Amino acid sequence: MAWFIGIDIGSLYSKGVIIKDDELSAYYITLSGANYRTAAETIRQELLTKANLTQDYITDIVATGSGASSVYFASKKASDIVCTARGINSIFPSARTIIDVAGQSTKAMRIDRQGLVANFAVTEKCAAGGGRFIEVIANVLRIDLKDFGPLSLHSESPITFSTGCAVFGESEAITRVAEGIPKEDIAAGVNKALADKISSLARKIALEEPCAICGGGALNIGLIKSVENTLNIQLLIPPQPQITTALGAAITARTSSLKR
Amino acid sequence: MYFAGVDIGSTMTKTVLMDTNNKVVSAIKGPTGPEHRQLANEVMKMALEQANLQLDDISYIVATGYGRLNVPFADRQITELTCHARGVLSLFPDVRTAIDIGGQDAKCMKINSGKLVNFVMNDKCAAGTGRFLEILAATLGIKLEDLGDISLKSTKKVQISNFCTIFAQQEVVSRLSEGEKLEDIIAGLHDALASRVAGLARRLKIEPDVVLTGGVAKNAGIVKAMKENLGCELLIPEDPLLTGALGAAILAKERFSKATAKGEPIPTKPRRLEKATFFTKETS
Repeated sequence: MAWFIGIDIGSLYSKGVIIKDDELSAYYITLSGANYRTAAETIRQELLTKANLTQDYITDIVATGSGASSVYFASKKASDIVCTARGINSIFPSARTIIDVAGQSTKAMRIDRQGLVANFAVTEKCAAGGGRFIEVIANVLRIDLKDFGPLSLHSESPITFSTGCAVFGESEAITRVAEGIPKEDIAAGVNKALADKISSLARKIALEEPCAICGGGALNIGLIKSVENTLNIQLLIPPQPQITTALGAAITARTSSLKR
Repeated sequence: MYFAGVDIGSTMTKTVLMDTNNKVVSAIKGPTGPEHRQLANEVMKMALEQANLQLDDISYIVATGYGRLNVPFADRQITELTCHARGVLSLFPDVRTAIDIGGQDAKCMKINSGKLVNFVMNDKCAAGTGRFLEILAATLGIKLEDLGDISLKSTKKVQISNFCTIFAQQEVVSRLSEGEKLEDIIAGLHDALASRVAGLARRLKIEPDVVLTGGVAKNAGIVKAMKENLGCELLIPEDPLLTGALGAAILAKERFSKATAKGEPIPTKPRRLEKATFFTKETS
């Protein structure tokens, strides 16, 4: 038996998983905060506690994400695109396209049977192109992020945002609230705006089905429905979409130790 | 005879009153606020008081800016691009490139032989507009008008991404916590805004003289950063906020004089400063 850890330090959330051979033993998600080293250390401790292990049992640790270099105890860094692809491939071997809706940007990638990335596209670092837009508007609507998706599904006439900018979108949402537009119509409008951006990104890489969606954005059921409607497809959703990339990092750790 | 230009921007409302000799007799700036219609009246009232005039004394009124349809007493609406170009030309006859950084947009205009020949604008993204500075000044807890002077003390600017206001905000907080100096961060913000606007301007061929207008042009740090990013000298009007309203007043006079010279009737609105009940339709 051997255990491996994958840690994904993202712009907003940091995620860690521990796997025992092929099987997920534990995972942990925390805010990245201002100090990524602290976040990485917290994740390692929590994972070990949850899996009831000590560091000695861990064969290898791989780090990924924008803050990968802050995981000082990792033996190696891996690209987040590669890790996301590996993570999805381990859950949905049939998936040929992946959409990853993260805090700062959205990625779309085509993968082959082995889970290797054939092509990918990334949005610019623009808040309106990632999960951050949803956070900004949820804050205006004074609703909890986890309620955003379910609420939006009640909408019968989503609003149309006249702008592609989260700052101007925030003002627009405030104006609509003042006009008495129901919250669900505004929430659904945000999901539609983001779904349009995601869909055009997926079309850019010539989307091939089956298509999986992951990242924090995949926790928003309204966004998923909206992407499904826009692209006219069914999406595969992992049970814990936020940890996909960390899972891929743990698998990378295992694969490279098997090669040794 | 007097003429008026009213420029309702996203953030500021500006009014210029002018006599037949193009002499500005009064100029007032006030915040636009959420209720444009009421504030257009207020700003006009102040302008009239300053010049000791009545609304009846104004022969023709042109409204411009993004809220131009919300000026019930305006005789005509003209787009801000036309008005800006006219205003800048009246101050700098040799202008070939005019850059206006507004509260929520940025425009670059090419002017040739006294005419607006081409333009590019960004009204889709807050980065590269006054809104960027407004938000980041609030993040830093610094007054907007103090940014310029503080930034001039900087010896090495901090790199801040110019693509997204929201992420720039996050970056600023991180840089502060890393102990970077305030003046270096602000200089970095100015450079981010300037590089974004310069990128927009470069889509037109930049030719001198280059004039910079809009409220952002009052910030000495931005002017410095714009010069560096464009690689050329900049001309700045004495009051960079007023060019749109000034252009509107000049156009009011020109349209009125042309019509009267030809003996054509020129329709005007009733000279009443009252609240509009609904958006007035644009007249052509």
